[in-house]
Amino acid sequence: MSGFQDARTLPRDTVLTPDLAIVGGGPAGISLALALVQSGQNILLLESGGRTFESDVQKLYEGSQTGVSYVALDGGRLRFLGGSTNHWGGWTRPLDRIDFEDRKGMPHYGWPFARDAIEPYFARAQALIEAGPWVYDEAGKTTPDIGPLLPLGPGGIYTSWFQFSKTRENNLPTHFGDRYQADLTKAAHITPLLNANVTAIRLSPDAGRVMQLDVATLSGNRLTVKPRYTVLAAGAIENARLMLASNDVMTAGVGNGNDLVGRFFADHPIPRDVATMVLFDGKLAPVYFNNIASPDGAVMRAVLSPRQEFMRAHGVAGSLTTVENEIPLDPFATAAVVTTAQALGVDASHAKAFSLGCGMELAPDPDRRLTLAAERDALGMPRLNLHMTISDDDFALFRQTLVELGRQLLAAKSGMLHLNYNRRDEWLSAMDWGNHHLGTTRMHNDPKQGVVDANSRVHGIGNLYVAGSSIFPTYGSSNPTLNLVALTLRLADHLKKVMA
Amino acid sequence: MTRRAVLAGLAAALAAAGGAAWKFRLFAKHYPPTPYDDLLGQITDREPAIVFGQESRKSLPGAAQLATQLRRDHRTFAERAAAEPGEAQITEVAGWIVPQSVALYAALAAQA
Repeated sequence: MSGFQDARTLPRDTVLTPDLAIVGGGPAGISLALALVQSGQNILLLESGGRTFESDVQKLYEGSQTGVSYVALDGGRLRFLGGSTNHWGGWTRPLDRIDFEDRKGMPHYGWPFARDAIEPYFARAQALIEAGPWVYDEAGKTTPDIGPLLPLGPGGIYTSWFQFSKTRENNLPTHFGDRYQADLTKAAHITPLLNANVTAIRLSPDAGRVMQLDVATLSGNRLTVKPRYTVLAAGAIENARLMLASNDVMTAGVGNGNDLVGRFFADHPIPRDVATMVLFDGKLAPVYFNNIASPDGAVMRAVLSPRQEFMRAHGVAGSLTTVENEIPLDPFATAAVVTTAQALGVDASHAKAFSLGCGMELAPDPDRRLTLAAERDALGMPRLNLHMTISDDDFALFRQTLVELGRQLLAAKSGMLHLNYNRRDEWLSAMDWGNHHLGTTRMHNDPKQGVVDANSRVHGIGNLYVAGSSIFPTYGSSNPTLNLVALTLRLADHLKKVMA
Repeated sequence: MTRRAVLAGLAAALAAAGGAAWKFRLFAKHYPPTPYDDLLGQITDREPAIVFGQESRKSLPGAAQLATQLRRDHRTFAERAAAEPGEAQITEVAGWIVPQSVALYAALAAQA
């Protein structure tokens, strides 16, 4: 069997026996399947939705929330082929080296390996997401005609770079379902099975192996999958839900012997209008607030990032500060600017002010977690409750980064900065989220600190793996798609060896 | 003398008078003398400094103590303001990150 199939039309109680079952047809699941095309293994790619959005399928995502206000659980992700790449913004940036490090005085930080472990996979990941040539932080050095970069004095903040996923026919950015449908169709050993909802992972009595997956359709069909290996690639929310809900053998849920599944949920807070940056001469290269295309086809945008040395020295988390738009100054602000510029001996008669936004990294928090709720969905699966948190330290650390930016502007006599928020309620009132779901099946060599090991295998279960950003133990501030695809390609190499 | 010559002479006289007024700050705002004029005189434009200083003075001592503190540093206001960001001598006033001396001099201007 290969080519697209519809679970609704297979005979009831069909038993499928692939070598590998991939649960979820988003960027991780599709990347993994395509990476294993040449392996000769029979791969079943189970996608809950169809090829397009359907509201009754999307409703399977509904859940409840407590704690800090957050996006509705059915609001920040999409349940059909291609997953959340069907609505992503295409922002891409590799994680920084420091994002993988144990951080002194910062609990729960660090990956079981350095960035070097996924470095070899970045080029292929970049190609899969169609973000053009790998430029990123070389942009300021190699790309002509982008205008002068923001003059900053020596210090902890520098101009860094995003690139953007792009694809043919002005379809921006790459939607994995549309883009790779043809590749999946023609792959001899891949069977994408649509409208197939995995509702339970059945373990062997000793909990050492996955024996089967229960599959249900909204039309009432039931199937069984008995794979040699299984990879959960359904996103950080659904991966945890499926593991927690599969609790017949391990009563706390699959892989949850140490009560970690669903904990450490994270996202990137995107508070708006966090600061006002005034440039005394009013000049700012457009690449800070518009995307530009380089001659070699990379679409890029400049952002302001803390240097790794600064982060280490000050215990600061990651952040990427963006310039949003020009704004007017009120009389008090004008007085502040004139007084400061005159003190520095600078003409501010052409000064302009810009609103800044940002994407912040949250510190890992075990209490920011998903748990099963009493309510069930149309397939009988328990829904989730998300308890969302964000600490005052998260805001304080980012504020420290902004103060450094302000200091460097003054040191360069190029401008100055106003911090717009100080109190928690001010930050929360400006809060938006990246919808980058992270961390709920975190990676750690120690089973007491992580759900999966350094190979993405669930601790204690020989043939169950997890792909996607749910394995990120710490998050960085970069958007996750490029990085999760690179990690998935690394997992593919591992699976080629163990499945051979 | 022709009318044209009279008008040209008048225009030249007006321009010269304007230039002299600017040069010798005849139109500049004058402030009553204070015991701190050695410091306040270093502020290029006191009006915006007074506005900004209404905020910075809130967390700072009174004028006399401020002046003493400022005089202890033998650098000029301009020298201090230029050097302080590199020395991490910055402060926050109503959300604005400024060199410490800017907050101090503005506070003094607001109180003088």
